[in-house]
Amino acid sequence: MYYIDLAVTGISFGCMYAMMSVGLTLVYGLLRILHVAHAAVFALGAYVTVLVANATGSIGLGFLAAIIVTPLFGMAIYRLLYEPLLKYRPDVPMIASVGLLVLMQDAFRIVFGEQGITFHSNNLAFATYNFSGVTVSAVQIAIVVAAAVVFTGLHLFTTRTRIGIGWRATVSKPQIAASFGIDPIKVRYLNFAVGSALAAIAGGLVALMNNLVDPGIGFVVSYKALAIIVLGGLGSVRGTLIASLVLGLVESYGTIFIGAWLDRDAIAFLALIVLLMIRPQGFTGARTA
Amino acid sequence: MSAYEISIISIIGINVILAVSLNMISGFCGQISLGHGAFFGAGAYAAALTMVGCGSVPLAIVAALITGSILGVIVGFASLRVRTDFLAVTTIGVNFLFVGFVRKQAWLGGEMGISGIPATGLGAAGNMTMILLFAAATIALSLYISRSWMGFAFRAVGQDEGAAATLGINSGAYKLAAFGIGTALAGLAGGLYAFFTQFITADAFDFIFSVMLMAMVVIGGIGSTWGVVVAAAGLTLLPEAIRFVNDYRLLVFGGLLVLVIRLAPGGLAAMFQNVFLRTRKP
Amino acid sequence: MSAVLQLDGVAIRFGGVQAIAGVSFAVEKGDFVGLIGPNGAGKTTLIRIIAGLLRPDAGRVRLSGVDVTGDATAARVRRGLALTHQIVRPFREMTVLDNVVLGAGYRYTSNPFRALLHLDRRREKERAAQILAQVGLGGTEGKLAGSLPLGQMKRLEVARALAVDPEVILLDEPLAGLNHTEASKQVETIAEVHARGITVVLVEHNLEEVMRICRRLIVLNNGQVIGDGEPRAVMADPAVHDAYVGAGMVGHAEA
Repeated sequence: MYYIDLAVTGISFGCMYAMMSVGLTLVYGLLRILHVAHAAVFALGAYVTVLVANATGSIGLGFLAAIIVTPLFGMAIYRLLYEPLLKYRPDVPMIASVGLLVLMQDAFRIVFGEQGITFHSNNLAFATYNFSGVTVSAVQIAIVVAAAVVFTGLHLFTTRTRIGIGWRATVSKPQIAASFGIDPIKVRYLNFAVGSALAAIAGGLVALMNNLVDPGIGFVVSYKALAIIVLGGLGSVRGTLIASLVLGLVESYGTIFIGAWLDRDAIAFLALIVLLMIRPQGFTGARTA
Repeated sequence: MSAYEISIISIIGINVILAVSLNMISGFCGQISLGHGAFFGAGAYAAALTMVGCGSVPLAIVAALITGSILGVIVGFASLRVRTDFLAVTTIGVNFLFVGFVRKQAWLGGEMGISGIPATGLGAAGNMTMILLFAAATIALSLYISRSWMGFAFRAVGQDEGAAATLGINSGAYKLAAFGIGTALAGLAGGLYAFFTQFITADAFDFIFSVMLMAMVVIGGIGSTWGVVVAAAGLTLLPEAIRFVNDYRLLVFGGLLVLVIRLAPGGLAAMFQNVFLRTRKP
Repeated sequence: MSAVLQLDGVAIRFGGVQAIAGVSFAVEKGDFVGLIGPNGAGKTTLIRIIAGLLRPDAGRVRLSGVDVTGDATAARVRRGLALTHQIVRPFREMTVLDNVVLGAGYRYTSNPFRALLHLDRRREKERAAQILAQVGLGGTEGKLAGSLPLGQMKRLEVARALAVDPEVILLDEPLAGLNHTEASKQVETIAEVHARGITVVLVEHNLEEVMRICRRLIVLNNGQVIGDGEPRAVMADPAVHDAYVGAGMVGHAEA
């Protein structure tokens, strides 16, 4: 049963990584920027979830608030930080992005303290279910369900609605999309809004899982997410989903096999570097220039 | 001179070596490296082990230089294979791998690090003098490279590898040279750091430290040796100079990074285009 | 007499398309060759193979008898090949002079450690200034290369190519985008280059100019050489004529 437990852990982490990484890969696909500050959005989502949940007594309202606040923040990052820097090489906005992340992280520490904040009441964090010997926590179920809902919704949105189809077209074929009258600037805002909301959900769920939000919450996850989007072939949503799930499982099992000589959090980068040496273009070989 | 002043000056010297050496890689040759802390750490561990093993300062310095540059040339080979934006992520990865690996190695002291590194026998002031001499040598080397044909070719490679090739310049060889020299110096800085603190842990060489080094390079004006020296000294002194900032060190670093890039695009852009970044094709 | 540039059975395939299907020709020292062909004939691919940006599936590329098929661009440049890009690629943030000086110092920059041991640039600066005067860029030395108008950037490309002391110079559409006056100045410069004993291979869309200045024409179509020889004789060949009829350019060239 131990191995199945590991699979459950791996899949739930994989789903969390996926929600975190999709925003990053979309930003990359559209603007060729490594949006490192996405981790700050993730952390903000977690803080808002906890703060609002504690103020209102409803975790659901906490998530709702996070989904409303973070897209605004994400769009503000685009408008105020990236847009003026788009004419420079992608490294320039990336360094600015790293700066913003460091700044936000320290701001969270200063405002909410080194120890972070916890939910006043969080029944989910410790509830577990037993399915014929396999232990599954309520939060793990919530993460997987959230990911399933979110990605099904995203799929329907990008295949069934006019805006969604235009969005997808813009990410993959900007010139063609523009000639069909889709406003590429609006698409950028949409991109940041949706990506940020997904990161916020992931952040809130991690807060639930640990029953804690501390200033470092987004730190390691965010750099792992960078590894994931490269593994997934920068700009590819499907590749990112696959890479997220694979990484979740590899980490979960890898902890037993290589945990003795390598930190769990470094496994993603080991995989990344090995892959890049074999296939410099990433998993799916995206031909982005 | 008080012990406090000696230690501050020593740290400034070490940070100057690190920032100037990173500037050779990212400024002169245009190869973004966000993992300079790993080479610094590799040098520190090599020097610490040598000191614990045989206590010879010159041997420890050589070990630090060699370890840093070997790791650097390996990463340099990676830079030949991957695209620019992959390289940034790869070097971040190298930093996390380094810390993640070292923390699990019993022979490197694991999470506790290596303590009780034998003293150099030079005393605090002697160590400081040694660090400053090496820092001065690093600055001199950087200025020399910048004026030599090597620096000239570095700028060409950083701006347009294809165009450099049509002038007979082998970009790959130059990138390897930049990584080899820059990371050897980072290793040296690591050795000096081990002499200075006599106690090292992996966490001192983490990614955030690498970002701070990049901040020194960017704020100092990428590619400019003296600008980077001033920024390295300034950013090291800043938290010391203003007491209250100490607690907000990261806030200030992050804020400065954002502000400098965002509010001085003209000045920075000129510097970027000069030696670091090609503007996107219109 | 030895060929400065020789291609033997060069072929390359992209996916299902045979882009170059066994191309062979030899360019003798001192020759002035025009390489032409309708759009999609494989000119760009062939140039990339000669420049060392693509490795052919089959065949050899030789420079002055030395097989360079496996060498990268930089190594070929050091074997006497010089290139200009169709789309200009100056180092925009360097001065015009420095762009050429860097080329003139190719002996120092051939490897990083030799480059590290040399500081002096006086001789290369003099040489670069000379070359700039030759191509008609005298007086622009101190300007940033990125600030030049296109016509001058195209000359700068030629100047940089000359700086590496080439045996053979491969010019990729040096007239594209130039107005009539600029183009005829550029043609003059190229003729002077040839007059100084440098072998020229000119890839150009402007057939009129090609017919006027080249001594020999090689025509490419569907990845194969369909004509090779004295320009008027080649253009009179029905096979060449047919290849160009769609493009409607033969009459224009003969006018």
